[in-house]
Amino acid sequence: MPKCVIDGREVEFSPGENLIEVAKKVGVEIPYFCYHPGLSVVAQCRMCAVEVEKMPKLQTACSTVATDGMVVKTRSERALANQKSVMEFLLINHPLDCPICDQAGECDLQDYSYEYGSPYSRYTEERRTFLDLDMGPVIVKNMNRCIHCTRCIRLGAEVLGIREMVATQRGNKTEIATIDGRPLETDYAGNYADICPVGSLLLKDFRFKKRVWFLKKTATVCEGCARGCNMDIQHDANVIYRCTPRENLEVNQYWLCDEGRFNFHYVHDADRIMEPAVRADGELKMTEFGASLDAARAALKGKKAAVLLGTDLTQEEAKLLQEFLPKYLPNASVFHFGTPGIVSEADDAPADKILKRKSKTSNLHGFEKLGFKGLKTLPTGLDAALVIRGGRATLPELKGLSTVGIGVFTREEAATFSVVLPGLTFAEKDGTIVNFQGREQHIRRAIFPAGNCKALSEILAMWAHGTGGNA
Amino acid sequence: MLLKTKESLIRRMYLVDVAKGLAITIKNFFFAPKITIQYPEERRKYSDRFRGQHYIKATNGVENCTACMLCPTVCPAECIHIVAGERPDKEKYPVQFEIDILRCCFCGMCEEACPKDAIKLSTIYEMSTESRDVYDRSFLMEQRGNK
Repeated sequence: MPKCVIDGREVEFSPGENLIEVAKKVGVEIPYFCYHPGLSVVAQCRMCAVEVEKMPKLQTACSTVATDGMVVKTRSERALANQKSVMEFLLINHPLDCPICDQAGECDLQDYSYEYGSPYSRYTEERRTFLDLDMGPVIVKNMNRCIHCTRCIRLGAEVLGIREMVATQRGNKTEIATIDGRPLETDYAGNYADICPVGSLLLKDFRFKKRVWFLKKTATVCEGCARGCNMDIQHDANVIYRCTPRENLEVNQYWLCDEGRFNFHYVHDADRIMEPAVRADGELKMTEFGASLDAARAALKGKKAAVLLGTDLTQEEAKLLQEFLPKYLPNASVFHFGTPGIVSEADDAPADKILKRKSKTSNLHGFEKLGFKGLKTLPTGLDAALVIRGGRATLPELKGLSTVGIGVFTREEAATFSVVLPGLTFAEKDGTIVNFQGREQHIRRAIFPAGNCKALSEILAMWAHGTGGNA
Repeated sequence: MLLKTKESLIRRMYLVDVAKGLAITIKNFFFAPKITIQYPEERRKYSDRFRGQHYIKATNGVENCTACMLCPTVCPAECIHIVAGERPDKEKYPVQFEIDILRCCFCGMCEEACPKDAIKLSTIYEMSTESRDVYDRSFLMEQRGNK
């Protein structure tokens, strides 16, 4: 393999890699704003300029491909002077509103300003200001903070396939805006906030909710569709505040769709049933596990029942049910459900050109692998149903059946149910899900279960032992 | 082993020493400057840097605070709770600003961390109450002991 020398350290690299990536391998940090591994290289922020031997001028590391025998100095006098000057130029117009800005704490400009910038500003003229138009329901723009890296423009054009962000005017007056001030149309608008190195494009949903340094990250997988994008759940004190994509080049690259990004809201839904409930006098009344399990057993005993399993359950839960159901509900017919119209693996296809799949549940392919059958129409002559799901699978019509629900339901969804045993969402349990490529991915518990919700294994164990646990 | 010394009778009666001690007592009792003060009527002057009851400084009736959350970040007692919001005349302001004064250790780090000169510790030290209330926004906004 070819070798080059960066700051006196010898590095092996594969041909075609640029200097930023090569330097990362030996732990040398080259600062950059406009470069992003998932986007094209434009080399316009000039922050990554480094000194390369035998080249008369500084070279931008993002656009310079490493060659054999190259000698690079990232901290030479000229490189440092350049970094300091670039920082000064960028901060000329950048407002000092870090206390207000949600990006503070994960802001590239803030971090580099400490590391490479000057602590004082020599600028005395008035800063440029802009009036910001609304950008739709996902993104809030603050043009005053923009440093013109154009990552957002390139993201739209190259990844999302929609040229909605443009740069108008020139030079100091350059403004990043949507065409004619239209709101953003893409379903992937949250990525604009992720790639923005400063606080120009921020999530409306997360606005002023929490300072980022309080948030803890749990690496997990999105349950929004059969792709299983890798993401981090960011949470603090048992509350989820946002989800951000995690790099995985074979599944989702660096991106996450808005549906998956904001899917976590149902975990904290005020309408979610978090205590065991039994229907009495036409209303769901809160009880304890003992009483509601008795009611659940009674509702299914001696009836012709169907067991419906949501494909948002994990492999572990599905396997457990495969053992449990033949023993305790031997006469029931078992189906899986998830998305209307998606019955088997064959129905699952890409829903757009980027990430989304047609199956809106995460584990359809895992259920098929275990041999469960999909639900086309309910068999006739049924008089009871047991529905087990994680909170995302779309419920089929269950009118006229005495229904027992185990899992995550809102009051509205459980309107016809006779018993509800509250289960866990994807953020509250560990498990494995299988995506459309057959890739087994791990979901991890980020927060503790809400209310009196219990894991499916616990509920089934109580069912099997004929007890109500501690309750 | 104890050393035995032969002292005179006068010396052994300690009369001189008792008189000396009594002289010091009398001197201090009648002539030394008094330390104790008659508290509710008389008050001591504390330093301007004294760290007492908190308040949020306001300029022209608008709070200086922008809810940047640096004070709850730095607070070692974790007694400050802020909820940020937006209103037409101010991009970010504290909708809720609570100080659990019973947990506060009056270290003054919140005042030091504040970039907006908003949270201040006044020299007020009379804070005893009959309930365990927390200081809420409206209480803190009164410019009590403004400095």
